[in-house]
Amino acid sequence: MRGPTAKSFKQGFLRSFLVSLKSCRNGDMSLQERKRAVRSSADAAMATARGGGAMWPQALLASSSSSPPTSSSWPRLLPTAAKVKTTRCKSTARRCCRPKRSSSEMIARRLVRKRTKILRGMVPGGELLDGVSLLREAMDYVVHLRAQVAVLRRVSNAMHHMAGAVAPRVQLKGETAQLSDGNQG
Amino acid sequence: MGCGCQMIEETSQHHDTAESDTDCEMSSRRSRSRQSGSSRITDEQISDLVSKLQDLLPEARLRGNDRVPSSRVLQETCSYIRSLHREVDDLSERLSELLATSDMSTAQAAVIRSLLM
Repeated sequence: MRGPTAKSFKQGFLRSFLVSLKSCRNGDMSLQERKRAVRSSADAAMATARGGGAMWPQALLASSSSSPPTSSSWPRLLPTAAKVKTTRCKSTARRCCRPKRSSSEMIARRLVRKRTKILRGMVPGGELLDGVSLLREAMDYVVHLRAQVAVLRRVSNAMHHMAGAVAPRVQLKGETAQLSDGNQG
Repeated sequence: MGCGCQMIEETSQHHDTAESDTDCEMSSRRSRSRQSGSSRITDEQISDLVSKLQDLLPEARLRGNDRVPSSRVLQETCSYIRSLHREVDDLSERLSELLATSDMSTAQAAVIRSLLM
């Protein structure tokens, strides 16, 4: 993701993030609660900014609004994936007993199978995707996750600098420091 | 069990050597096993996707960019996503601490500043 796409995504992300951050400033929240709120704001903002070009944003938004994705939400995908599996199994069932298969190949394939399954769990909405779509979604998701990290880092650095910048200046002027609790870690 | 067809699931040409450590060259198998499946996904497409995925991963995770088995790429992808999630979590924690001590106008100013950077 480079150039104008990256920039517009990051800007869209920031805009959405700022809007939902406002709800995180509730003073009654514990640190853990606020952290969870910030995290889910960031995820929601990432999904919103990504829009409709992939499946994971929908899944991410669905899970953060705590309504579990039902099979009716993705009618297209679920039957296809299931159908592919069944058809494949039946047509190659007879060939399973071929003695030619070497154990290293079997191990490799088992590994790929196992790791594909893990990847499904890591990509939002991955469970409902077929293998090829999963690979594409994973790529898209990774790219946007990286952008999310970059933006969050910039925001927290900027906030940190602002917090740090205010206090010393205030102290020098002899006024009561507003942020003088030394919280500039 | 055993039919081993669930690996990446799509390829109708999916036969013994797809994604294996030992042999990523699938041209010999491809012509032999081409079935009239509804999906036209080839082994080549899959291995192209896998190598694109590999290119996304940070250099340190894969020694160089030569042929790395798909199982390894998948593993490193999962591990990378996990670490990105952790980073987002840590940054969220940091942000929530900063939010506790600053007011919203500081946060807004910081965000706007980030926009301009």
